[in-house]
Amino acid sequence: MKPKITFANWGNYTLAFKTLFEILGIEVIPPEKTNPQTITDGAKIAPEMFCFPLKVNLGNYLDAIKKGANTIFMTTASGGSCRLRYYGVVQDNVLREAGHKIKFIIFDQNLKDIYSKVKEISGASFWQILKATRFFYKKLRLIEKMERLAQYTRPREIEKGATDKLLAERLSKLEDLQKEKDFPKLKKEILKRFSKIKIEKDKDLPKVGLIGEIYTVCDPIVNFEVEKKLGNAGIEVHREMELFYQIKKKIIFKDFFIQRKIKPYLGSTVGGHGRDAIYEMLDYGKKGFNGVIHLLPAFCMPEISVRPILEKIHQETGIPFLSLSLDEQVAEAGIDTRLEAFVDVVKNHHKLKN
Amino acid sequence: MKIGIPRALIYWKRPDFWETFFESLGFEILFSPSTNKEIVEMGVKVSDPETCFSNKVYWGHLFWLAGKCDLIFVPRLKTDNEKLEFCPKFFGIPDLAKIIVKTPILTETFDERKEKFEKTIERLGKKLNKNKKEIKKALNKAFLKEMEKKEKEKNDLFRKVQLKKSKIVLISHPYNLYDEYVNLRIKEKLEKLGAEVIFIDAVPVSLNPLADSSKSSSISMVEFHWEFGKEIMEKIDQLFDLSKYRNFAIDGAIQISSFACGCDAVLKEFIEKKFKQNKIPFLYLIIDEHTGEAGFQTRIEAFIDTLT
Repeated sequence: MKPKITFANWGNYTLAFKTLFEILGIEVIPPEKTNPQTITDGAKIAPEMFCFPLKVNLGNYLDAIKKGANTIFMTTASGGSCRLRYYGVVQDNVLREAGHKIKFIIFDQNLKDIYSKVKEISGASFWQILKATRFFYKKLRLIEKMERLAQYTRPREIEKGATDKLLAERLSKLEDLQKEKDFPKLKKEILKRFSKIKIEKDKDLPKVGLIGEIYTVCDPIVNFEVEKKLGNAGIEVHREMELFYQIKKKIIFKDFFIQRKIKPYLGSTVGGHGRDAIYEMLDYGKKGFNGVIHLLPAFCMPEISVRPILEKIHQETGIPFLSLSLDEQVAEAGIDTRLEAFVDVVKNHHKLKN
Repeated sequence: MKIGIPRALIYWKRPDFWETFFESLGFEILFSPSTNKEIVEMGVKVSDPETCFSNKVYWGHLFWLAGKCDLIFVPRLKTDNEKLEFCPKFFGIPDLAKIIVKTPILTETFDERKEKFEKTIERLGKKLNKNKKEIKKALNKAFLKEMEKKEKEKNDLFRKVQLKKSKIVLISHPYNLYDEYVNLRIKEKLEKLGAEVIFIDAVPVSLNPLADSSKSSSISMVEFHWEFGKEIMEKIDQLFDLSKYRNFAIDGAIQISSFACGCDAVLKEFIEKKFKQNKIPFLYLIIDEHTGEAGFQTRIEAFIDTLT
């Protein structure tokens, strides 16, 4: 059986993963963009009490399985304390019970394991894998850069919608890019186009930081495009959480430094990105931000554990704080209403400060 | 000096241990009362709405103790002697407790990946100005008390399995099994319906587990990194072995879960399958602050009816 690989959709990063496998000569069936139907389908077969990302993942797999995928590539977080550790096994069991014949490849979040698993399915040589990884890394960094640029230009643009149009267009161009040697040209072009968007340069805008669980923060569909909505309301959005942030954290033991900074609030890890949320909120407070939005999948264990602490920081520093729990039952209208109200608070905070 | 111990959540992990330990060190102990409606309501009010029911109950107990004693003992349990982790929600409990109450919190981090239990206890004792000798004595006393209780539980279990009644295994965390208000007196209810209840917690873990025969290829099992996960799975296996060895049948299994318990969401997937493989009826009950007694009773009765 020739492997046809699929994996879970995760915001714009999906296309970088797609490239990684394609370069290695593996047949890839990329997951379709998450939509409400995906989420409903996934939630139907998923364990009821499990956290939200698992349900979305399952929905993504189902879509790809319909198109002929037979192998799923999924991460686990050995060493982490939260439920992500059991995603692979539970998803495997759930899909098998639903009658799908699927091979699950579960990899650990370390280089050695990723390398051996990739080698196993692709049969590629060390150099090939290294080259593919390098291309993957370049694409990933460019995606993240584009997202950051968009966060800056969106609230300042003169012609409304120009940023998002450009972002969507260039992302699909980047997705189609197959050869690494064409990459610098495209990168240059993208950066040039971004700098050409007409913006009001000297506008002093209120700033909001996005914190919380990495999957919900980075996937614009799962979080109902919070970033875009805030941007269009004239707010500059910042976020630390990126896929590269997670990779960096694994390499330079960032947890150690974070723990030192947040000692008065929390004396230990609580799993997942609990500590990072506190660290980032303190950081945004110091930088004089006008608001913090906390995004989490409903009942996420680490984020729920730290939420009272975030609320305490909010009371101490007076920085506006909004926590949004996301799951399959949350409706966009509800999120919109809360965001609109929050935008008013943020703008008020900004006005009073100046 | 008076030390307060909330009678919920982590207390039930080692019920007699802390009590004996602090008492033999010469401290007065103040327990919060058994869970009641007021405590639950208080807990729900002060806690995060999405945290699990067991945590909410704990905050209620903690709130009750506030101002009534000099110190409240809230340990940070991280890993146990097998280097397995506790629930991640336990990791942050002392920090959250500081937010909820103004009474000073007595805490120490129990992480046996980094430090032996005895060492941690010593540090805890030093915080209370006790010397090494006193601490060691108190510790031994506490261990002894704990062992006595375990032995009694074991004998009780062996007596129970000989009875000619339908036997139902009750699976949950200790804080749901032993807290009668929280689990709506399920043991009493089942006994009234003529069943014998076996707490999974009371099943002894043998040191050399018998070869596992119940493994099947259709479902992949998993090695849990959670102390309770591994323990419950092992104890279920142990119980199956025991039932073969002592020649009795397990008639049904009930798992109780606190609402929003993240760990149980994972655990249930594997526990349920284990019982299904062995063709034992399985009932999953979720408890929270709104659970009605009548609804509970109906489901239990219906379950008992399916057994015969």
